[in-house]
Amino acid sequence: MGWALGANDAANVFGTAVASRIISFRNAAILCSAAVITGAILQGRGGIHTLSALTHQTHMTLLVVSLAAAVTVTLMTFMRLPISTSQAIVGAIAGIGLSTGSMQWDGLVKVVICWVATPIGAMIIAFIFYKLLGVFIRHAPMSILTRDKILWGGLLLVGIYGSYALGANNVANATGIFSGQFPGISDRHLAVFGGLAIAAGVLTYSKRVMLAVGSGVMHLDAFTAFVAVSAMSVTVHIFAVIGVPVSTSQAIIGAIIGIGTVRGIHNIKFRYLRNIGFGWLLTPLIALILSSSGYAIFCIAKTQI
Amino acid sequence: MFASKQKEIQQQVSEYCASVITCMDSFQNAVKQYCGNMDRVAAKAAFMEVHKAESKADDIRREIEVMMYSKSLFPESRGDIMGLLETMDKVPNQAEAAVLMIWNQHVEIPEKYCPEILELVDVCCRSVYAMVEAAKTLFSNFTNAAVAVGKIDELESEADKMEAVLIEKVFSEEVKDISSIIFRDFVTSVAHISDRAENVGDRIRIIVAKRTI
Repeated sequence: MGWALGANDAANVFGTAVASRIISFRNAAILCSAAVITGAILQGRGGIHTLSALTHQTHMTLLVVSLAAAVTVTLMTFMRLPISTSQAIVGAIAGIGLSTGSMQWDGLVKVVICWVATPIGAMIIAFIFYKLLGVFIRHAPMSILTRDKILWGGLLLVGIYGSYALGANNVANATGIFSGQFPGISDRHLAVFGGLAIAAGVLTYSKRVMLAVGSGVMHLDAFTAFVAVSAMSVTVHIFAVIGVPVSTSQAIIGAIIGIGTVRGIHNIKFRYLRNIGFGWLLTPLIALILSSSGYAIFCIAKTQI
Repeated sequence: MFASKQKEIQQQVSEYCASVITCMDSFQNAVKQYCGNMDRVAAKAAFMEVHKAESKADDIRREIEVMMYSKSLFPESRGDIMGLLETMDKVPNQAEAAVLMIWNQHVEIPEKYCPEILELVDVCCRSVYAMVEAAKTLFSNFTNAAVAVGKIDELESEADKMEAVLIEKVFSEEVKDISSIIFRDFVTSVAHISDRAENVGDRIRIIVAKRTI
């Protein structure tokens, strides 16, 4: 799960910079991996705690949750819908929680509220950033090349910050369910393992996704990419501090919509947004159905043995 | 790393702008010389100066293009700068085409129209200087470049009016022969210089608009 997350989500933070050849894939992947691991170790435990507290897990349910989330992610990829590993994992955990009757509803409600708040928050932050930076660019005398230089440095910095936020927020998706399950393995260890798994995905398989980024919801130039990645990073970091894993893809899409509201709503490809909406609803639902079905099958098999 | 590349590009663009101005100065000088004695052989050296300046501008433009492909820039900026240079390059090309026309077609400029032709050349050259200024502004304070473009538009309108008046005068005369038609074509060719400069101005407007937030 951590590997898939790294392979897919690194594009949200470094995709534009790599696709624009501002930074080579190799350097971007190294910077991103280092920042992801740092974020996971320093601030990743909040999310791990939240996910582990959602329901009681046994070794059997851990297997079901992992399988259900993995199948959901694969299915969504196959259907070409945006993937949210956070939603897949939480959906799968909720499936087990509902089946066993051990669901901690407070925790789940908190997570769902954060999911709704993610694109909205990113949208508002992007709107504010766009307006503030717009004032700076309009009034500071500079050449088009200096503007590029500023954006070049800015994209690198927010790429690193975004990677840190990705590690801090999303490491729970990779290893959160294992919290408290194995003696001698602390949440810090899980944060390190999760960070390493995400970094492995970034280093080995994120290039293709990075190069394909930018053709989605709206065409992004260097400035809008900078605003979008900044807003996404701040949003995801805020939720890392709160301790709820959220989707970086949904955060960046929210940010792009925020930019679209300033630049003109006609710039947004609404067909693509519809798919995102489907993905948003379907991911937790499919994961939930798969994990509760999986749990039922295991229980039936157990009684027959 | 990125800063030094930018400095290099900025320097090369500056050199290119200087070569465009040299070309226009040479063009103005060549037409002035030709109007003075109507001897194309005597003015050949001046015509060659235009050709040399145009070739130099071409060489610098090609160097910039190669440099921009070999060095990193945002794709949007690379495309914009390349497009700008390609459009700018049509200006010295047009000046060279006008002097070539004098040479190849033995253009006869009636003495009474010489002051008007020289004035038209002057207005066109000024539109090119305004164009160069606007292009340079992109590399100093790009938000002001759109304002600088306004000057090109004014001069282009002036050149258009002068062209129309001159052609009307030529064809109002009793004797209209092949030399009148060649002269008309020459007037149109000179006036095209300011049209080309205006095209550059339009491109600059788009470059600024794309970056206006």
